[in-house]
Amino acid sequence: MSTVTLKNLVKDYPNGFRAITDLSLHLDDGEFLVLVGPSGCGKSTALRMIAGLEDITSGDIYVGDRRLNDVAPKDRDMAMVFQNYALYPQMTVAENIAFPLKLRRVPRAEREAQVRQAAEILELTEQLEKKPAHLSGGQRQRVAMGRAIVRHPALFLMDEPLSNLDAKLRVQMRADIAGIQRELGVTTFYVTHDQVEAMTMGDRVAVIKDGILQQVDTPEGIYGSPDNVFVAAFIGSPSMNLYEATLERHEEAGGDRYSVVLGDQRLAVPPEVFAERPALAEHLNRPVVVGIRPEHLEDAAVVADHPDDQRLDATVDVREALGAETLVHFNLSAPSVDSGDPDALDELRDSGRCTARFSASSTARVGDRARVNVDARHLHFFDRQTHLAIRS
Amino acid sequence: MNRRTFWWFTIPSVIVMLALMVFPLITTVWLGFQKLLLRDLNNPEWVGWDNYRDVLSDPEFWAAVQFTLVFVVVTVPASMVFGLAVALLLDRIGRGRAIYMAALLLPFIVTPVVGTLIYEDLFERGGLVSWLWEVFTDDAFAVSASNVKVLIVVQYIWYVMPFAMITFFAGLQTLPEERVEAAALDGAGFWRNLWHVTLPHLRLLVVFVGLISVMDAYRVYDSVFVWTGNRFTEAHTLAVYNVRIATAFDIGRLGKGNAIAVLTVIGIFVVLIPFLWRSYRDQIAERT
Repeated sequence: MSTVTLKNLVKDYPNGFRAITDLSLHLDDGEFLVLVGPSGCGKSTALRMIAGLEDITSGDIYVGDRRLNDVAPKDRDMAMVFQNYALYPQMTVAENIAFPLKLRRVPRAEREAQVRQAAEILELTEQLEKKPAHLSGGQRQRVAMGRAIVRHPALFLMDEPLSNLDAKLRVQMRADIAGIQRELGVTTFYVTHDQVEAMTMGDRVAVIKDGILQQVDTPEGIYGSPDNVFVAAFIGSPSMNLYEATLERHEEAGGDRYSVVLGDQRLAVPPEVFAERPALAEHLNRPVVVGIRPEHLEDAAVVADHPDDQRLDATVDVREALGAETLVHFNLSAPSVDSGDPDALDELRDSGRCTARFSASSTARVGDRARVNVDARHLHFFDRQTHLAIRS
Repeated sequence: MNRRTFWWFTIPSVIVMLALMVFPLITTVWLGFQKLLLRDLNNPEWVGWDNYRDVLSDPEFWAAVQFTLVFVVVTVPASMVFGLAVALLLDRIGRGRAIYMAALLLPFIVTPVVGTLIYEDLFERGGLVSWLWEVFTDDAFAVSASNVKVLIVVQYIWYVMPFAMITFFAGLQTLPEERVEAAALDGAGFWRNLWHVTLPHLRLLVVFVGLISVMDAYRVYDSVFVWTGNRFTEAHTLAVYNVRIATAFDIGRLGKGNAIAVLTVIGIFVVLIPFLWRSYRDQIAERT
């Protein structure tokens, strides 16, 4: 059992491209940490540096107190699960799983017992004598898991292990992998571009973009208080709606009132929001970035009991009835903010597009004028220049 | 496809096969039972198994068989191991790979006779090797009956190695990087990785190169002929011996020559049986 510490890792490629900038992370013993980010953000590079498959330009990697920078991959006591599984095609399932044990000269009887045990955990007992070519994608994935777990390594490394599976299987394997990891208690470093995997599997989630760590926190922490615009937009599906807006204060006898101007509409903000974030006062009458999660928007026809000045008018463009809820898309006249996610659709930029998660009982149809309740206490505010959250 | 179309498509190749392979083969077998001399081609005479008895009791034939087998057994594995080693090195070279590859392919590109002559020159009086030999041993180096077989074998390995190299190198390009990395993390060093990952991936190419190399080495002619000519007949392989018997300018025993050819063909089948059996079994295994 072991802790993992990354200290100021840097990776420069010979062509001058800096893939990782000053990455520092600490994994507690038995912790499941998910490193998530869009394509090309350096997350796989980070994983491969830990595995020893990629040189380290500068910085240090420790497992426990042991510095691993110059240790060969085979001596690092880490097991890795690859995106394409990387099984040995000429070996049977049993031989694949036993391979790392064989290389460590584990006696045959013990080897077989361990393979059988791993196969039971992974429900592969029926497949042990088959070659990988005769297995389904999900089964191959489990063989790759089997090869990792028989070793009882210090660390599991997983490089997008679910991205080649179909959606249904992915949901199941997500739960299975998380379950096995908790059962075995092996420290795990998991890399994915899928924020749902990150949220559902990780004890903690580390968000990375352009080789720079953005935020590390529990899934709830990352979702509830994102540190910057990128994290806010990247975590959560549908994404947080982000607009350029202006904060205004109206001095009145009974106490000041605050509002956010979103294009041609005005939204009242409860004073306690400002009380909790004194720094917001510095941004009055200046443009900021305002974020609204889709679930903080509701059809006024469904929930009538809502302050009238915390509502927006909208014309429904698209309606997606998902059964348990209904996603409604409309446009606001305020300009959208580009979060910097390279995987985001270009056509959505600057469109003012807004997604709301309405109750299934909402009857709003395409083309309808709708009143939309905004849960203004849950608005997110970011600096327009730095894109950092305004929280204090 | 109806029967008529089928024939239109296949008949040209059938005719070519019959004309260029089946007919000469039958003629060869038939000639093997004739007494026929090069200077008197119009009077074949049926002699039954005489030519075969003659060949099988000729010590030079058995010497040729023996050297040919030794030649195959030494040059094929050596050129394949050497070729694989060079391919693995080449695979690791980043910059200038094309230059190395071109240099390594050179012996294979040069016409065998020319290549052999150049190589031979190294060992002749005044040649580089000959000169070095003299510098270090104070003795003149001479190509002799006792060392010519070694020289032939070494030169041939140098000549055919690029074939194995380029084939294995191509195979290495299709080896998934992730599989090598997975083995490294599983605890495999260089040799284990080679044995458990690289070689299984190249398995079919190894069989292919082996098969072609065995056939090529078995019927080697030009380089051996250049080395030996009529000087060192004890270093003649089957093909050289065969041609010598059939074309010797005064006697030229075509009947005996054809009998040798038939025995040679039978021989190659015997040599190839393990390969053919192996690839047949693989095919079956692949299908189940």
